[in-house]
Amino acid sequence: MTAIALRPPEVVMRLQRLGAAHPTRLSFLRQLIRRATRERWRVRKERFELDDHGFGRAVYAVETPARIYSLVAFSTPLDDENRSDRVIAQAWDTSYVLYDGLPDEVEVARLEANAPLQEAGRYTSRELVLARANKSVRLFEDVAATLAHGQQPGEEQLLGVGYLLRTTAVYGNGKFGIADRDEIAARPELSGSFQAEMLTVWLIRSFTLDLVDHVAHRRNPGGAARLAPDLRRALGVGNATGLGMAPFLVRHPLLTHSWFLARETALARVRAEPHAGEAERKGFSEALADLRQRVARWQSDDGRQAAATLALAGDLDTLAENLDQLLAKPQPWDALYRFAERRFSLEGQEACVALILEPHGALIDELGETMKADETPGHTIDGGVTCGSLRQALLDSYSWAAGIDFAQTAANARFWYVSAEKLEPRLGERFEEDGAELEQPLATARDALQLAAALAQEPASTRVSDFLLRWPEWRHAVRRAQIVARFPYSDIHDNLIGAELRPVDILRAKLAFFGARSFDPRSDRWLRIALFSGEPLIEDVAVAAPAGEAA
Amino acid sequence: MIDLSLNEVETLSAKAARGAGFSWGLAEDIGRAARRIATEDDNWGPALLGLLDNAQSLAPPHPLRAARWRAGEADVAAERPLCPIRTAALLLDDPLEASVMPLAILDVALPVWLDAMLRRSTMRVARPVALPRADVVIERQLEIAQPVAGRRGAIDRQTLAALNAFAARTYVPESERSRARGAGGGRVDD
Repeated sequence: MTAIALRPPEVVMRLQRLGAAHPTRLSFLRQLIRRATRERWRVRKERFELDDHGFGRAVYAVETPARIYSLVAFSTPLDDENRSDRVIAQAWDTSYVLYDGLPDEVEVARLEANAPLQEAGRYTSRELVLARANKSVRLFEDVAATLAHGQQPGEEQLLGVGYLLRTTAVYGNGKFGIADRDEIAARPELSGSFQAEMLTVWLIRSFTLDLVDHVAHRRNPGGAARLAPDLRRALGVGNATGLGMAPFLVRHPLLTHSWFLARETALARVRAEPHAGEAERKGFSEALADLRQRVARWQSDDGRQAAATLALAGDLDTLAENLDQLLAKPQPWDALYRFAERRFSLEGQEACVALILEPHGALIDELGETMKADETPGHTIDGGVTCGSLRQALLDSYSWAAGIDFAQTAANARFWYVSAEKLEPRLGERFEEDGAELEQPLATARDALQLAAALAQEPASTRVSDFLLRWPEWRHAVRRAQIVARFPYSDIHDNLIGAELRPVDILRAKLAFFGARSFDPRSDRWLRIALFSGEPLIEDVAVAAPAGEAA
Repeated sequence: MIDLSLNEVETLSAKAARGAGFSWGLAEDIGRAARRIATEDDNWGPALLGLLDNAQSLAPPHPLRAARWRAGEADVAAERPLCPIRTAALLLDDPLEASVMPLAILDVALPVWLDAMLRRSTMRVARPVALPRADVVIERQLEIAQPVAGRRGAIDRQTLAALNAFAARTYVPESERSRARGAGGGRVDD
């Protein structure tokens, strides 16, 4: 077997490619589904106390081998003018917590007094995740009305949107007093990245489907239809994600590295396979057919995404035409990838990465276990190295940035800050708005180059510890420089404060690792996505054959 | 009292430290040290406030003084008390040789912070005391103790408000323009 080199960070970590990322079988919701299927997690509706309009509360309990977790859901009236995707909204159609265990009446009452308030409420270590979701109003009402008439909604209308409700925030790791990640990090079922959050969204999906059935049934108890099983399975949960998530990848460099390294290692492994087996060919063809169907339904008003989606459809047509010939070659998956690299758009190339991985679970799924990291090792600074060697390491790591002239307005056009009003990350225009003196330390390339310049002023033999004793303002940049030298996929290889930056590119990369699809940028700084569409329902995994997902 | 998660303790502490004038990198160190203190002691809030209120009056170790420590020579106190954060950062970046420990360091402000910062290294403060300033002895520890799990960070409302005020110095007030732009523009929802 001829080894295949990993795609290097200078290829993988560019913003344009991050902005074309596709979910793979290593994505976090897929990891969760595999475990739940393997362990036959059972879900039961402990409470479903909703009135004729669908307002009230519900509790869904999930039995995993070691523990029970509960989704506690609240559905409340909301005026249309208060319904907003923005993180600054103050009221929502539905709110949720993922509860550690099974809540009794007192606990449900406590949560009912807090969860609908979201950030304005207060939580305890029994709550693992806090979330909320709004109805996709027109669609929810149309589906409820159609079902109430005893009919099924039209597939095209339904799957064009892809979900009935859309989450606007899913908070984990100690936010607003909920449990710290440390509390669950040692539990196998939740130890992977964002597993508690994905479990929450998976349960929310089932609640939204039960909610619309319930509303339809109450409107016409004698004649309402239930949403057909194939439509239930096709629908996911929407999500709106904005700027607040963008700094995450910069602030968690070791974790970011672990995610990309796992995916790239998986790709290299599959590309090195000498032959394509019958099962793998079949799996690939099914995945390709599924993706082509999804791409045909992928809607976005964003001109750039619409063009990219169109190009992707063309790429997938070309792939289908050439598939037999490509897979007949030695190292067929490598031949396929190289074909994509030569012929396809970035969107098409990254889709091919996902497709190539899809039929190779036995070869790559264990890499999912490596997609987590404690950031602590990156915190230690090696002050014993010399300024000369640190400077050289910086120049090596940031050679991609050598051509950026930060004295130019366009290269230095933006600054990241935290808004006093909403305590959320924001992106400002440095030369047009106030506040640049309070810039957050997210200008990775600029700070790295400026640190290199500052180090050049020191005798090369000076120890970095002595340099930092005199210049503590460089501490964050020295720390990052040493991380980037050790963890090559930890850093985005683009200017994060340039006039051309599109934060949605960063968001998409992270969301693809979650398992998101149907990316729909609504501006350069926020987008909508769908999670779990087309995936098994959580209530079905206890009876599903584990082999189905493992193939 | 309000019960904060440890993640809240860490992020609030780092922001407040930055607001009090520590560099971004030192603020990260302070966040982690505050989290460490909170796992062992309910007094993390007042301890942090004490550090931030006095931050401007504390001195970093002079390079010549640091050289004396490394050489195992007797310490000489300076005019102002030593900043425990700057001192710990230096010791963490360039750990003392085992041969010079135990090492006496004179007149360290809020030595509880020096102790908390050093917990993740093979050095520790012998018999740390909760005093505004004290002479300390740095000694070797063979095992780095892992923080206790399952703890929360209790804090009283007044201290929390004071820490939030420091943190607020890192926030940028909204302008009409930035508000309109927000996290991405205000399209009507559907």
